[in-house]
Amino acid sequence: MNVRSSHMARTARTLALGALGFTAVLSVSARAQDADQIARGRYLAIAADCAACHTKPGSSLAYAGGYGIASPLGSIYSTNITPSKQYGIGNYTLAQFTAVLRRGIRGDGAHLYPAMPYTSYVRLTDDDIASLYAYFMHGVKPVDVAAPVTALPFPFNVRASMMFWNALYLNAKPFVPDPNKSAEVNRGAYLALALGHCDTCHTPRNAMMAEVESQQMGGAAIASWFAPNITSAQNAGIATWSAADLARYLKTGDVPGRAQAAGPMAEAIEHSFQYLNDDDINAIVAYVKQLPANASATVVDRHQTQPRDAFGAVSAEDAVLRGAPKVDRGALIYDGACASCHQPTGLGSKDGYYPQLFHNTATGADTPYNLVATILEGVNRTIGTKHYYMPGFGRDSYVQHLSDKDIAAVSNYVLKQFGNPAAHVSTQDVASIRAGGPKPVIAQISPYIKPGLAALVALVVLVAAIFALRFRR
Amino acid sequence: MSSRPVFTSSGDVSADVVVIGSGVVGALVAHQLASAGHSVVILEAGLRLPRSEFVERWRNMAYFNRLHSDFQGLYPQSELAPAPLYFPPNKYVGLNGPNGSAFQQGYLRTVGGTTWHWAASCWRHLPVDFRMKSTYGVGRDWPISYDEIEPYYCRAEDAMGVSGPHDKDLQSPQERSKPYPRDMIPFGYGDKRVAELVNPHGFKLVPIPQGRSVEPFEERPACCGNNNCQPICPIGAMYNGIQHVLKAEDAGAVTIDQAVVYKFDTDEKNRVTAVHWYDAHKRSHKARARVVVAACNGIETPRLMLLAANERNPHGIANSSDQVGRNMMDHSGVHATFLANEPLWFGRGPAQSSCIVGARTGDFRSQYSANKMILNNISRVAPATEQALELGLVGQDLDDEIRRRAACGVDLSVSLEPLPDPNNRLTLSDTRKDPLGLACPDIYYDVGDYVRRGTQAVHDQVKQISGLLGGTELRITTDYNANNHIMGGAIMGDDPKTSVVDGWCRTHDHTNLWLPGGAAMCSASVVNTTLSMAALGIRAADSIQNAFKAGEV
Repeated sequence: MNVRSSHMARTARTLALGALGFTAVLSVSARAQDADQIARGRYLAIAADCAACHTKPGSSLAYAGGYGIASPLGSIYSTNITPSKQYGIGNYTLAQFTAVLRRGIRGDGAHLYPAMPYTSYVRLTDDDIASLYAYFMHGVKPVDVAAPVTALPFPFNVRASMMFWNALYLNAKPFVPDPNKSAEVNRGAYLALALGHCDTCHTPRNAMMAEVESQQMGGAAIASWFAPNITSAQNAGIATWSAADLARYLKTGDVPGRAQAAGPMAEAIEHSFQYLNDDDINAIVAYVKQLPANASATVVDRHQTQPRDAFGAVSAEDAVLRGAPKVDRGALIYDGACASCHQPTGLGSKDGYYPQLFHNTATGADTPYNLVATILEGVNRTIGTKHYYMPGFGRDSYVQHLSDKDIAAVSNYVLKQFGNPAAHVSTQDVASIRAGGPKPVIAQISPYIKPGLAALVALVVLVAAIFALRFRR
Repeated sequence: MSSRPVFTSSGDVSADVVVIGSGVVGALVAHQLASAGHSVVILEAGLRLPRSEFVERWRNMAYFNRLHSDFQGLYPQSELAPAPLYFPPNKYVGLNGPNGSAFQQGYLRTVGGTTWHWAASCWRHLPVDFRMKSTYGVGRDWPISYDEIEPYYCRAEDAMGVSGPHDKDLQSPQERSKPYPRDMIPFGYGDKRVAELVNPHGFKLVPIPQGRSVEPFEERPACCGNNNCQPICPIGAMYNGIQHVLKAEDAGAVTIDQAVVYKFDTDEKNRVTAVHWYDAHKRSHKARARVVVAACNGIETPRLMLLAANERNPHGIANSSDQVGRNMMDHSGVHATFLANEPLWFGRGPAQSSCIVGARTGDFRSQYSANKMILNNISRVAPATEQALELGLVGQDLDDEIRRRAACGVDLSVSLEPLPDPNNRLTLSDTRKDPLGLACPDIYYDVGDYVRRGTQAVHDQVKQISGLLGGTELRITTDYNANNHIMGGAIMGDDPKTSVVDGWCRTHDHTNLWLPGGAAMCSASVVNTTLSMAALGIRAADSIQNAFKAGEV
């Protein structure tokens, strides 16, 4: 944490020095204040993970947009939010900037698609919006490059239709602290909901793609992955995690004997959480720890007989049976494709770079989406300068492409040997997860809905698709 | 932009380009041409199997085979397209001559090729290696210079993700227009310690440039030192030709496995109009193409050219010079083993890590062969165990002796440089046929006095190195061993009377036939050939693209 704090301080100093160059007429205290505000805005932008969408992966042009969120209807491109006057938001007033974050209405009055999480950012305080504004106007380098224009087919191109959806679901207000909770929990709630938008993945949604308030943070499918229940539910949630475990997870994505982050959570940690200061991480942890137990949110939760990281044990099977003909296809694939890193015993490597497979949330969940998604897509997480990488075994894998049948076989072997033996993966499950996960109900039934409702349904399908795909890269 | 091969209902195919062979060279060519929008078919004689199967078969092999490096046996072979096997020998390649046994090559006929079981050493030839005749009065000059191939070395290093020293003092050669894509794999303890002891005496120990990385490289995971590069990297950290087979397929190329090419059709201008292959059921099919590339390995390419002789080319395809199958070369080598008087702990990290290159070049090359000495980094536990058991030890004494020998054991893999000699020749066997009735290859091989004299120098140098490390039990093998770096059989040159291909690996005899790879190489140098082969492949692909643009094909 000292590294990060000093990094923040260094950034603040750098920004302050930069500001000095431009604003020699200002008083010393005013300059320091501006620099502080810009530094704060920078930190908030990281906490809100703006770069996840607005910086194209692999691009050196920060916040220049152009990252296409793939939807079945076409790509929704993130915009250039640098202070470029021609291509970015350089001409935005604070009021216009606020309207984008709180109401999803951009400078020219057009509605944004909810790929932009304004439903979360509406909770931001005025002060923080002002800081973010200061940062994006003065702390970000203008990039005079146009981002591609999003051009969805009719009726999705009628952005005004978002007004109806907003009327139904844009119901949150700027954050007001709960006087019954500690300052730390309130800070954590603000970070988790207004900035980190944890609920957009972790809270299940109803058929109209609205979050179910009563099941907050109760776990939900997100594309090929499953954002688990992070309430204090005994088995389904993370009641057994200590505050230190949670803090370590948010900072590194790696808690040996419990879980390793992959997929969208690895991205959130890589781009956002690892840069938050200790106080803020602890605040998020305090908030999460006090979330009321909620063990009935999903089918997964109801059948979870033990905590997800409590299953399994080290295995000696390979040592005993080495050389014997293997009758289990899953065991054969495990030996050939998995055991070189995770070891025949499932212990992983001593340094933990390759994690153990037992006492691991990926193998202990009753519905093992994340085990299958990890096999298909691998793990890719850079913390500090350390790059944690497991190759996926999907279609484009160089290491080896595994079929749906083989992934089901090896998953079931791993579940039996190291994880939750009650869980089961079918070939169809793998095919579905490979194709981007189960579709929301509304998307599945949309072909059967009467034509009169088509436009509204189409809109909801679009929103569903956006939520399902927001974190897919 | 990209177009696809067109198949008929009988299984014949038409494409812009047919690439015979799916190893590193064929795959790079196929990838580049498919990416440029050409329809490409890859014909591979062998099977297509997944990595995990090779891994499991290696783990389940008998200890004897593992101990004695049976790197061929774990790769299942197509019944119709055998490759050499040595446990026991299948005698697919007939060897004769004074040093026939030195040519026991281990190459794979399988989708992805022999780089499934290479050590990923990615060396460049030295600039002077391209001018052996004009500089030292021995061997042959290449028709191209180092400067001409240098950009292609860079492209090959990029494609294969090579880690090599950014420190110029550790580079061999130092002439580079671009840094290595990644810095060198860090030295292990043994590499560092040996460097300290031998470098003051001029031996120049340098890191081996390698097609792997200690950080993830694109889709490849980080090398974690399984020390199992040969016969199979179990995690895909090492470059294998299959990587570019997959990339080629992503770009639209189609791979047909178990497709044994045996016949070429040529027209009145002696252009190759089609090649014929047998499928797994011995049914014959035809592939029509505007361009044909044969990148089948240093033995299989000349064999195929000879097998495919037709009325217009009675001595074989591309063989008006009678040079096809001649000038066969490999880095005939010896192994020197000894026990150092301190633990060096070889066997951690990749199978090859550092190499002594002090005698890689010098004026002596007018008289005798240069050499390089790889500090073999394959774990010494297996040979140490075999030796300790031979001593009759049991119990704790046995354990202690295995530990001592594994810790102190040194194995130098020494490569020498044979000269291209037309008498070292691959011919078709009159008596032995493969299961399809196609003649098996015979090879006559004599390492030559140039190498024999070089071996004397090796003995002197090895004795000095062993002495510097306090070595005991020094043994230098007396029979030359093969190193699977097969060169010369379709040799490059400007003169169609004395060479098979030009400086772009394009055959002199057929305007639309290219033979890139080791067979084209005019000098062996002392370094592993794969990077040079890959560079020649990329050069050939450029030349093919230019030929398409110029309307020559």
